[in-house]
Amino acid sequence: MIVYSAATKRYPNGYEALKGVSLTIEKGQLVAVTGHSGAGKSTLLKLAAGIEFASTGSVFVNNQNVAQLKPAGIAVLRRNLGLVFQDHKLLFERNVFDNVALPLEIAGFTRTETGKRVRAALDKVGLLSREKAFPVALSGGEQQRLCIARAIVNRPAILIADEPTGNLDADYAATIMDLFKSFNQVGVTVLLSTHDQAGLARLDCRRVQLSQGSVEQGNADQGSAVA
Amino acid sequence: MSAWFNAHQQALARATARLRAQPLASLLSTFVIAIAIVLPLGLYVVFNNVVSATSRLNTDPNMNVFMKLAATDAEVKAVENKLRIMPNTASTAYVSRDVALAELKKRANVADLIAGLETNPLPHAFTLRLKSTEPATIAAMRAEIAALPTVETVTVDFEWARKLARFARFAERVVMLLGALLSAAVVFVVGNTIRLQMLTQKDEIIVARLIGATRRFVRRPFLYFGFLQGALAGLFALAMVVAGTAWVGGEIRALAESYGSFAVQGITADLAIAVVLGAGALGWIGAYASVGMYWRQVE
Ligand SMILES: Nc1ncnc2c1ncn2[C@@H]1O[C@H](COP(=O)(O)OP(=O)(O)OP(=O)(O)O)[C@@H](O)[C@H]1O
Ligand SMILES: [Mg+2]
Repeated sequence: MIVYSAATKRYPNGYEALKGVSLTIEKGQLVAVTGHSGAGKSTLLKLAAGIEFASTGSVFVNNQNVAQLKPAGIAVLRRNLGLVFQDHKLLFERNVFDNVALPLEIAGFTRTETGKRVRAALDKVGLLSREKAFPVALSGGEQQRLCIARAIVNRPAILIADEPTGNLDADYAATIMDLFKSFNQVGVTVLLSTHDQAGLARLDCRRVQLSQGSVEQGNADQGSAVA
Repeated sequence: MSAWFNAHQQALARATARLRAQPLASLLSTFVIAIAIVLPLGLYVVFNNVVSATSRLNTDPNMNVFMKLAATDAEVKAVENKLRIMPNTASTAYVSRDVALAELKKRANVADLIAGLETNPLPHAFTLRLKSTEPATIAAMRAEIAALPTVETVTVDFEWARKLARFARFAERVVMLLGALLSAAVVFVVGNTIRLQMLTQKDEIIVARLIGATRRFVRRPFLYFGFLQGALAGLFALAMVVAGTAWVGGEIRALAESYGSFAVQGITADLAIAVVLGAGALGWIGAYASVGMYWRQVE
């Protein structure tokens, strides 16, 4: 469960990217955040992963106040989340397999277990045949899928994906949206941002629309009230 | 437990992979560290040999008691009895003036000189071996003997032992000082290697941290790397010193033979282990410090 309680984010340069956002994402929910470029979508997601911290108000993930976590606690929080970054954050010196294996290395899995899980994740995003390739040899869409594979490899209970279909053509965008839906169907809480209208239609889920850092509209069609 | 083991195994694997990824650069910096270790280690071996060789030449301190030339046989006997019952006397040996002269004549270079003498210029003498080498005890004993009216002079042959001990202390300090300075050098060289590595792996560190790596996780392979590089340099240094002693050793043995049996003391197993582990520990410290500085600058 992710709870934003009057969360405001003011960046060091004084710009207020989020203005008193209150929002509850229930366990097992699939929520899509939409909004114009600069509306604060990425900022909203970063607060939940402890990458940025609320300037006022607070953010709770699984009943823990993110701002009050110690560095080691932040690390634990992030290991329990699957994170897809808008700019991918792939490692260009590592091949596809080793990029996806990174979260498992951090978690201390054995080589054999790592091999199994990495291949399963690559299979889900359709990159199994490219495991030896390096990211430079991948298309933008393939890089995006690689990033998704890395986010799901540790089978997190919460997936946070920033524009996961940003660079994909319509077919692959649909496949990826279906993938997020299938994760959600087995109980994974999914919080993603997108401005892909076709994808949104396909997801058919609760939408939260941000505008200038405020929640403009929170569609509660999956049952939870939105402040 | 098994996760812990895996984490360390993987950190070690990554550290060795980094060593192998840049074999030339790794080898060069390891060599520089090895040279920093060779200096104090080599000096230690040299000093150790000098001290042990010279201490073998020298026996326990002797005290030589020279009688006045005019001393009669009865007076000599009286002094000998006194010396024998002194508490610090281990044994006494009497050297009569005739024996001393005969000894002296055996030495070819002074034989001519002595042949021209009409009378024997040498006094009767005693050589004492002592129980205690305690300077205060020896000084008191010497004063007591010198006060005897028929005794001319008393010499104590322990200056040599004292000089040797002083030299050993000096050598020890030189090795320690050099060791401390060059240990710092090892820490700095490893620290700098790690700093460069962290710069080239900045992206990986940032991404790993973003997806939940602890500082400990990031630091671990660097610590292993530092330890491995230090220990490897220690091995190199040992090999160099062993090769050096083998090369110089032949000469020393030839030289030392004239002083009786003497073996060149090389490096013991204990010392070798201490050097490798010590150098590894220094590398570990360098890595730790370097990673700490990275955190302060980047995070
Ligand atoms: N580190 C930062 N320092 C200062 N301003 C920032 C920083 N990060 C983001 N901003 C500003 O905050 C606002 C919201 O940024 P954010 O990245 O959350 O928008 P977004 O909705 O994700 O946009 P996009 O759709 O383009 O990704 C933007 O105006 C941006 O310029
Ligand atoms: Mg964004």
